[in-house]
Amino acid sequence: MTRFGYDERSAALLVFPVLAVLLVVAAFPIIYSFWVSLHDIVLTRPLRRPFVGFDNYLRIFDDARFWTAVARTTVYTLVCVAVTTFLAVLVALLLNEVFPGQRLLSALLLVPWATPSVVNGLMWKWIYDPTYGLLNGLLVQVGLLERYRVWLGDPDITLLLIANAAIWKQMPLAALLMIVTMKAIPEDLYRAARVDGANIWQRFVHVTLPALRPGLMLVLVYETMISIRHFDLFLIMTQGGPGDASFTLSWLIYVETFRSLRFGTGAAMSYVLAITTFALSWAVIRFLGKRI
Amino acid sequence: MARITCAALTKSYGAVLAVDALELSIGHGEFMVLLGPSGCGKTTTLNMIAGLEEISAGRLLFDETEVTWTPPHKREVAMVFQSYALYPNKTVRENIAFPLRLRGQSASEIERAVGAAAEQLEITHLLGRRPNELSGGQRQRVALGRAIVRKPSVFLMDEPLSNLDATLRLSMRGLIKRLHQELKATFVYVTHDQAEAMTLADRIAVMKGGLIQQLDTPEGIYERPANIFVAGFLGSPPINLVEGVIAGGAFTRGDFRLALTNPPQEGRAVVLGLRPEDVSAGGDVTARVELVSPLGSETHLDVLAEGGVALTLRVPKEWRAAPGDRLSFGIDPARLHIFDKASETRL
Ligand SMILES: Nc1ncnc2c1ncn2[C@@H]1O[C@H](COP(=O)(O)OP(=O)(O)OP(=O)(O)O)[C@@H](O)[C@H]1O
Ligand SMILES: [Mg+2]
Repeated sequence: MTRFGYDERSAALLVFPVLAVLLVVAAFPIIYSFWVSLHDIVLTRPLRRPFVGFDNYLRIFDDARFWTAVARTTVYTLVCVAVTTFLAVLVALLLNEVFPGQRLLSALLLVPWATPSVVNGLMWKWIYDPTYGLLNGLLVQVGLLERYRVWLGDPDITLLLIANAAIWKQMPLAALLMIVTMKAIPEDLYRAARVDGANIWQRFVHVTLPALRPGLMLVLVYETMISIRHFDLFLIMTQGGPGDASFTLSWLIYVETFRSLRFGTGAAMSYVLAITTFALSWAVIRFLGKRI
Repeated sequence: MARITCAALTKSYGAVLAVDALELSIGHGEFMVLLGPSGCGKTTTLNMIAGLEEISAGRLLFDETEVTWTPPHKREVAMVFQSYALYPNKTVRENIAFPLRLRGQSASEIERAVGAAAEQLEITHLLGRRPNELSGGQRQRVALGRAIVRKPSVFLMDEPLSNLDATLRLSMRGLIKRLHQELKATFVYVTHDQAEAMTLADRIAVMKGGLIQQLDTPEGIYERPANIFVAGFLGSPPINLVEGVIAGGAFTRGDFRLALTNPPQEGRAVVLGLRPEDVSAGGDVTARVELVSPLGSETHLDVLAEGGVALTLRVPKEWRAAPGDRLSFGIDPARLHIFDKASETRL
């Protein structure tokens, strides 16, 4: 008598290759980087790598740069998530209507999403460029700006400008998710609401918005998870500057690991970021999930 | 305001004419049923009366007031949908209260109205639940509650019972009829179920292809169908339709002859309509029994008469018959329906 029949055994056989690959490319790095984070590894003295327990973690929290990075990351993530979600709902509401050109617009919506993020970063870097950038040219020609500005050199708005580039790229997918959710709302609900006397705003609040909750939750979790870890835009556009204006956590991790070559603390920081991301997502799901 | 007048009411979707110059006048407190097969324009008509569908041409009046362009909430109509259309995130109480809240009524007024409506529909114990915690029949009661709580003078119902099982449908039918009597409002009720139409309606409008085929009381429609379509749509088992010609003052098809009381002109090609129950024991029509279907209260017989005329008969259960038997029965000429074969209209 066998506990597993033919079906179970062949299923296990089919799943095994994927499982093996996952083990190597996902599980191993996770465990290895945790091991690294418990050691004082500095590549400038590669042979001495003592075990230090959680010292690396404690050291991070004493680091002033870490708290700057937390502040920058918080602002950046909040702006990215809030604006992306808001725009996504707005765009979805628009594209959910039937009007001439609606199909073309829906297709065009996907262009930014399909753009590789390095290309996106370079594109926006050029747009913001102080000498030949499109933004300067446009604003001066329209007369909104007197003379060319060094956009990314202004510490007050750098973070927002980078966020703008990120939102441009990630909003379409969020909008698409919202459209899909909206399409699933039965037309009869809107009819009932109209007969009940709900105006367009009340229909949005009482019919559309409640139905959007699952999609909204997905977008919030997903956008939080990716925004908090954004790196490539910072590498391409500002490298943490000017000053520490765009010095985010992922940039700090990069600097610590690959410029200062302190792998131990770098790995510890990565772990802090990963656990924070995880905790935030869990909180969003718990908070919104309960109200659905 | 509670009298509804549709004057040449038309709805077209591009080239598709969904409702074609509909003329319909619904009296105050009347229970009007729109009956017809799928796609005949029932829902479209109802939505135009509700204001949910823009009217392409023609006029719509409530009493003497033209409402052709009035938005739905200003028409003071309530609507019940086949899909219930309850707000899934609101409790039953909030669902029923919603139209009143939108009208800015005070909390105590709303509380009282919701309580009364819930009591009338026997759903007081469900007020705290959400729609996904209710059965189909309970959901439809809540939808009815949301409709009656506003005390509108017009109720529009689009196949409200179609998603319910047969027994529930029967009891809900009774509930709707009772509501109509208590509320004394005008009801426009869409269905494709002839039994629902017959039991509920003061008058029935039978529709097909965007046109009203016949507008009459249930008895009138059943007893005097205006054309072959209406005759065939009502009645279960359906009316027997036999093609033939008029010869010697009688309907003839081969050896099958039936004398008529006032026959149309000689030689005319006609279709004879015979309701399955319009036969009597003992008579001059003979047929061979092909199939016997006892239903307990009555029996359905499929018989083959002279000239290859196949008929279904609905007879009392006392008639004993077995397949292969010869059966003699009588047909009252006064109960026959004769339609013109070309125009399909009643003669
Ligand atoms: N939005 C629309 N666009 C194009 N044609 C439509 C639209 N809505 C309805 N129609 C057409 O109008 C006709 C009438 O539709 P309607 O929904 O009124 O039928 P119905 O009698 O309610 O049918 P059912 O019993 O299936 O609900 C149908 O032929 C349908 O295809
Ligand atoms: Mg319909």
